[in-house]
Amino acid sequence: MKIVVCVSHVPDTATRINVSGDGKNIDSTGVTYIVNPYDEFAIEEALKHKEKSGGETYVVSLGGDANKETIKKALAMGIDNGILLKDDSYRDSLSVAKALAAEIKSIGADLVFFGKQSVDYDSSAVGQLTAELLGMPLISVVVDLSVEGSKVTAEREIEGGKEVIETTLPCVITTQKGLNEPRYASLKGIMAAKKKIIEEKPALAVANYVELLQMKRPPAKEAGKIVGTDVSAVPELVRLLREEAKVI
Amino acid sequence: MIERRDQESIVNYLADASNFKGNCEKVLVPASKDEVKEAIIEAAAKNIPVTFSGAGTGLTGGRVPLGGWVISTEKLNRIIDIDTSNKTAAVEPGLLLSDFHAAISKIGLYYPPDPTEQNSTIGGNFATNASGAKSYKYGPTRSFIESAEIILPSGETFFLPQTKNCGNLLSMKSSSGKEYNIPVDDISMPEVKNASGYYIKRGMRDIDLFIGSEGTLGFVSEISLRLMDIPNEVISAVIFFESDINALDFIDDLRSLRNRNISINPSALEFFDKNSLEFLREDFPGIPNDALAAVWLENDCYNSDPDKVTDVLISFCEKHKANLSGSWFASDAKDRNKFQTFRHAVSYKVSEFISSKNMLKVGTDTAVPVQFFRKFLNDSINLVSGNEIRYVLYGHFGDCHMHLNMLPENQDQLRIAREIYSDIIDSAIEAGGTVSAEHGIGKIKKDYLLRMYGFESIKKMAYIKKILDSENLFGRGNIFTDLMFE
Repeated sequence: MKIVVCVSHVPDTATRINVSGDGKNIDSTGVTYIVNPYDEFAIEEALKHKEKSGGETYVVSLGGDANKETIKKALAMGIDNGILLKDDSYRDSLSVAKALAAEIKSIGADLVFFGKQSVDYDSSAVGQLTAELLGMPLISVVVDLSVEGSKVTAEREIEGGKEVIETTLPCVITTQKGLNEPRYASLKGIMAAKKKIIEEKPALAVANYVELLQMKRPPAKEAGKIVGTDVSAVPELVRLLREEAKVI
Repeated sequence: MIERRDQESIVNYLADASNFKGNCEKVLVPASKDEVKEAIIEAAAKNIPVTFSGAGTGLTGGRVPLGGWVISTEKLNRIIDIDTSNKTAAVEPGLLLSDFHAAISKIGLYYPPDPTEQNSTIGGNFATNASGAKSYKYGPTRSFIESAEIILPSGETFFLPQTKNCGNLLSMKSSSGKEYNIPVDDISMPEVKNASGYYIKRGMRDIDLFIGSEGTLGFVSEISLRLMDIPNEVISAVIFFESDINALDFIDDLRSLRNRNISINPSALEFFDKNSLEFLREDFPGIPNDALAAVWLENDCYNSDPDKVTDVLISFCEKHKANLSGSWFASDAKDRNKFQTFRHAVSYKVSEFISSKNMLKVGTDTAVPVQFFRKFLNDSINLVSGNEIRYVLYGHFGDCHMHLNMLPENQDQLRIAREIYSDIIDSAIEAGGTVSAEHGIGKIKKDYLLRMYGFESIKKMAYIKKILDSENLFGRGNIFTDLMFE
């Protein structure tokens, strides 16, 4: 069994983001990058599956050299093979999916994991598009998963509840918080990762369908107003909520 | 100037994290140093004691007033200037440490002092010479203070630059030209991390007298701090052991090679016993089941090669039989923050437990010289483990600094815990250590300070206080008992 995890290298969620001078990217000065948090659930699930049923695991990431950090983390957590699809330019979700699908196909994956979305562009599209391109069934936003033989049973979050879906391998799963508790890289993992080589190859060249025109910050939040500090302020607060804010 | 008198709004200033309680007439909240001066001059004219208050995160009642007025620094919270070329920052005392860390990290600068409580103020850190995990490599707050402006009870100001004094006299001239001569009559300070009483030592800087003086000598109105570049990389790991002996040997081994120019040179080296790990398991399910001790280690890499540091670290782990497959290694900033949370969570978890039982914590803050540390540790464990009281043992073991927190569940246990505490203090003093390495003396450890230094040394400190604060108005009740002024 071959298990592939696709990972994204994203700005730390605790970082404050600024738009760069050309208005088409973020200013990466002082920004630290991390493994996309949802992808950590994907990595953990791949490792758990391998520990239970065996197989070979692959981590694939598309981007520049910096993405190697994220690949290294996956390797240190225990993934067997790392592949970097090199491309420094902007890509829309479909062109990312096309390059990933080509790679996954050449690996011959039986089970593919993605985080449910990456926290940079938040499109929540690449997993779904890749599954379609591969002609595989997809279960998204998964919070519980079992794979017995080729039978896959997954619980996923939907509006107001959960649903349980069955399918068969090969398939694509996108992972949601709650599915598992991602492990940290272990010292043993670090030692093993040092011996693993990240395979670098150019990402499949395809055209973008989406053009990024401009990035801008949302308007700054207006300052709050302190109406008073004790009970005597309540009537004024109610008046303002009614007449100014018009929320009650 | 905001003035608070009603009980509801002053109650927040009448305790700190130790739960020591006090009282006051009113709380003043100045928004500038001129307003501070104004308040101090008025208080002095009326002979009213003044207690300075930071964020209230202290553990020894230092900011808790025993009558008189409180001057709160909460509105003096600005960063005045950051000089990126000289790597210094001038700040007001009420600035929160967390806000300061965030502001300078954005421009690639680093301020290592990291007391567990990130919501403490820089002024509070100054007053207690706060330290934290990274003082192992970088030293406490004192090591990062370049200069400061101090307001005396008379309303006069000192601006104290970075000069050293060779003789046995500190000669300081105030803004009005008045000269103060302070004898530097050596007291034998312990050769360990220390936050007990005044810093008095030949060759000290003027400013050293005020750092760690717990608001008893002056109000620090502006502080200039030394900054560093952010390290190129930080190695961080939580290493688990199946025996506490192995974990302690691991720490001893790394410490013995400190600054020896080998690849590894940790900035933090912290120990957790099995009871600490039990408190943490709920929040950190990845702690291996068979772990009986853990070490959290950070290594800032400036010139060293991170890969080489990792290799050396792994070889030390192998040598001391660490759990290689179960230990955690940070891969990015997010993991590193998580490991720092792991360290800080012990104290929170313990406090939570204590307040759920409505009991007091009885916790040590002792540090002893390295050659006595293991014996001191064993003696302390023997003292506490011979009875029913729950306890957790953790701390900055790189610095031979132990937090042994006893968690008594009833009055009987509380009495026993206090006896054990007293015995541990005695053995720390006997080993040439300190009763308080980082929390300060405040109002609750004065008896132990007396035991540590003896009456004559404390009298020397009180003599200095009298030169600057003849009426004992500032920080009354901190460090000294009234007896010291007679």
